[in-house]
Amino acid sequence: MLFDESTLRKLNQLTLVASRVRAGAIKGERRSSRRGSSVEFADYRNYTPGDDLRRLDWNIYARLERPFIKLLEEEEDLAVHILLDGSQSMDWGEGEMHKFSYARRLTAGLGAVALASGDVLSIGLLQRGTVPVEFGPARGQASLPRLFGFLEGLESRGETNLNLSLREYSIRPRRAGLVILISDLFTPDGYEAGLRQLLGRGQEAALIHVLAPDELDPPLAGDLQLVDVETNHAQDVSLDGGVRERYRLRARAWIQATQLDCRRQGIRYLEATTSLPWDQVLLLEMRRAGIVK
Amino acid sequence: MQFLTPLGFLLAALALPILLLYMLKLRRKQVQVSSTFLWVQLLRDQQANAPWQKLKRNLLLILQLLILAALVIALARPALRVPAVASGSVIVLLDGSASMNATDVSPSRFEEARKSVRALINGLSNDSAMTLILAAGSPQTLISAETDQSVLRQALDRARVTQGHAGWQAAFALAAGAARSSQGKATIVIVSDGALPENGLPALPGEVRYIPIGESRDNLAISALALRPAQKGPQLFAEASNYTGTDRSVLLSIYFNDELIDARQLNLRAGSSGSLTLAELPNRSGIYEARLSDPEQPAAPLDALSLDDRAFAVYQSGSARRVLLVSNGNLFLEQLLASLPAIQPFRALPAGDGTVQIPNDPFDLYIFDGILPTKLPDAHLLFVNPPSNPLFEVGAPYREIGNVQVKEDALTRFVDWSNVHILEARLAQTPPWANALIESDAGPLVFAGETNGQRIAALLFDLRQSDLPLQIAYPILFSNLIDYLAPASAFDATRSLQPGEVLSILPQTDVEQIVIASPSNTAFTLSADQNTFTQTHELGFYAVNFLSKDSTRAEYFAVNLFDENESNIEPRASLQIGSSAVAPAVSQEIGQRELWTWLAGLALLILILEWQVYHRRQIHWYTGKQVHL
Repeated sequence: MLFDESTLRKLNQLTLVASRVRAGAIKGERRSSRRGSSVEFADYRNYTPGDDLRRLDWNIYARLERPFIKLLEEEEDLAVHILLDGSQSMDWGEGEMHKFSYARRLTAGLGAVALASGDVLSIGLLQRGTVPVEFGPARGQASLPRLFGFLEGLESRGETNLNLSLREYSIRPRRAGLVILISDLFTPDGYEAGLRQLLGRGQEAALIHVLAPDELDPPLAGDLQLVDVETNHAQDVSLDGGVRERYRLRARAWIQATQLDCRRQGIRYLEATTSLPWDQVLLLEMRRAGIVK
Repeated sequence: MQFLTPLGFLLAALALPILLLYMLKLRRKQVQVSSTFLWVQLLRDQQANAPWQKLKRNLLLILQLLILAALVIALARPALRVPAVASGSVIVLLDGSASMNATDVSPSRFEEARKSVRALINGLSNDSAMTLILAAGSPQTLISAETDQSVLRQALDRARVTQGHAGWQAAFALAAGAARSSQGKATIVIVSDGALPENGLPALPGEVRYIPIGESRDNLAISALALRPAQKGPQLFAEASNYTGTDRSVLLSIYFNDELIDARQLNLRAGSSGSLTLAELPNRSGIYEARLSDPEQPAAPLDALSLDDRAFAVYQSGSARRVLLVSNGNLFLEQLLASLPAIQPFRALPAGDGTVQIPNDPFDLYIFDGILPTKLPDAHLLFVNPPSNPLFEVGAPYREIGNVQVKEDALTRFVDWSNVHILEARLAQTPPWANALIESDAGPLVFAGETNGQRIAALLFDLRQSDLPLQIAYPILFSNLIDYLAPASAFDATRSLQPGEVLSILPQTDVEQIVIASPSNTAFTLSADQNTFTQTHELGFYAVNFLSKDSTRAEYFAVNLFDENESNIEPRASLQIGSSAVAPAVSQEIGQRELWTWLAGLALLILILEWQVYHRRQIHWYTGKQVHL
């Protein structure tokens, strides 16, 4: 049961605090032509060439002799796209730590927040290089049960090709907004090209990297043949303490490289190990990473 | 370092199957993981970065190859060159005589000698053979020309020290024989305290080396203990000798049947001896024992060699021999029997009709003078002028008695026949079981022999038809014959035996079995027709039990060391063999010490390590599980 009672209770609490927790911390960082069309003052920022001179705060300029642009509150709703990795490798872990369940609960949480704060929510499942099923766009809390039903019906199977799936998602006409990719990134061809394509379409992007604890520190020993559940690729490994240690270091280095890569491209990155409670990730870790606020 | 069987290295080829198996290998346990993405990256790094990582992964293979290498090298038998006393064909003469019981080196000289021989065996090179001879009373070849060290060690462990003197001449003869039959140069190693006879030893072929054993000469001994019958009871003579280098005072105690009858303190100067004589002892059969002890500490061991601190002597009060004379009346014989000592004569006369009745009581000896009973008794017999009988045929009388010869024999000792004249004798053939003692041209005059356990002697002439009874030869011949036919005792107990000396036993004819108990209470059973006993290797007194149908009789005899050569335990610095002196040997030859045992041990250790590593890897196994929602 994906959304059992305790999960639902936590989701309800999230919707109550949704006015304070808001997906998409993108204001002031994205130059939108629509921004500032309202009259409510929001913030200042430095002038950059090409800005509309009509928004320049001349009073400040007279006082400080430096140009500042006056930002006004945008009242328009935000488009939130959640892309969920539905490959076989996500079907891993036991109980609460099952990656795909965990990812769906995160999706549900994010979706609930988005719907409660009046944003437009779309969800896509990335599987076998395409996006076989989508949810939305939907708006308003009335869509919550539909969202849960949709998530419950998803299954993780088959190989992933994140690049292909992301490209396919990006070439359809969408409202620009915030794209949140939830994946374990176990894809041999990488995900960078697909994300770059999304960014090129004017989307903001965030990456939630879901990993099970035994993927970071596998409790394995002896002479083994490891079989990839997704690709059925077999790999002979003779494991002893040294090899395990090196694997741990390798996994850590991979995560750090991914994080660095994301930062360079302006993608918010969050590592979510399934041993952490998902609601804690939603309330604390995502805020810390700047994905919600 | 050298390898004795280099062909063993061919077994190194066994590494190939191990490697092959390792490559084919290893049914790896299949484990499902969510992705091999990171593993592939990791292994790509590893293989690029550190080739030796591969080796580390193959730790088990390396350990297995190490085990193989250790075993292969062990089979090639590496050996170190070490100095040794002897090499080539080695003949070891191990002294097993009484003096080797001395405890001046712990635990005893013999164990010390055994240790030396073991060292010789260990230092034996591969192509060297060793012969082990134990020089005891009757020398014994423990093992002959053996190259296998473990077999040699087993043979060495079988060697036991004796309580007697060593038959060095026979041992030397054995050693010489072994040396001559060996190929190449033979080295004879004598492991001894040097108590070898000073002369009379044959020269040995090959090189002779000497390993001296022993440190001190601390020994006192009873060197004599003897009994002599006398008019008023037996006399005892005991002598104690001091072989130490210092003056000593000792307590010499005499026991009769375990009761102390006399004790004297003797002050003995270094190298001298002192004696004790006791006279007018009770005329009873029994065992006399002489003991030496320290006057201050009677319970403590007196010296390094305790074997010769006790001695035994047996006194057998003479029991008269019962002799039955069957005769029509012969004054010469009757007077003779009456005059011989320790004889109780009886006479039987024929009845009026000429038939002879023999009393039912058993006699030690029957003498038939001219007449015979209807049935000869089953006992020792002396015939004088007999007619034909079941034992031998007697022919007609003859008078031409010429060229009389006396044969050299114990029975004719001191018999002077030169003045004896015989008028008439009877013709007879010497029976095959008998020896003619006195013969003329025509035939035997006197013969004696033994058949079916019966001792039989015959004079083939009438005493009254000769002047023999008037000659000095008469009592001597009859005394000899009667002592032979009816010996006073089954054996001569008054003289003690030396260890290993053979005891001759002449049991009474009714004895069916003889059981001899040694000082350590080992029983030896002899049948009645065995008349020698050879197991006299222990010092002390032996009980000889004669079992007949309805009676048991015991006699005793003693075995004492009484050997100055053995009691003088001073280790000799060099040996005198033939005309040359042999000095103590030093390690000068090149021997070998094999190392394969260490390598085999190493292989075992690595095997244990390999087992540990294997199990450590198997303990944490893991199976990935699929989780369904």
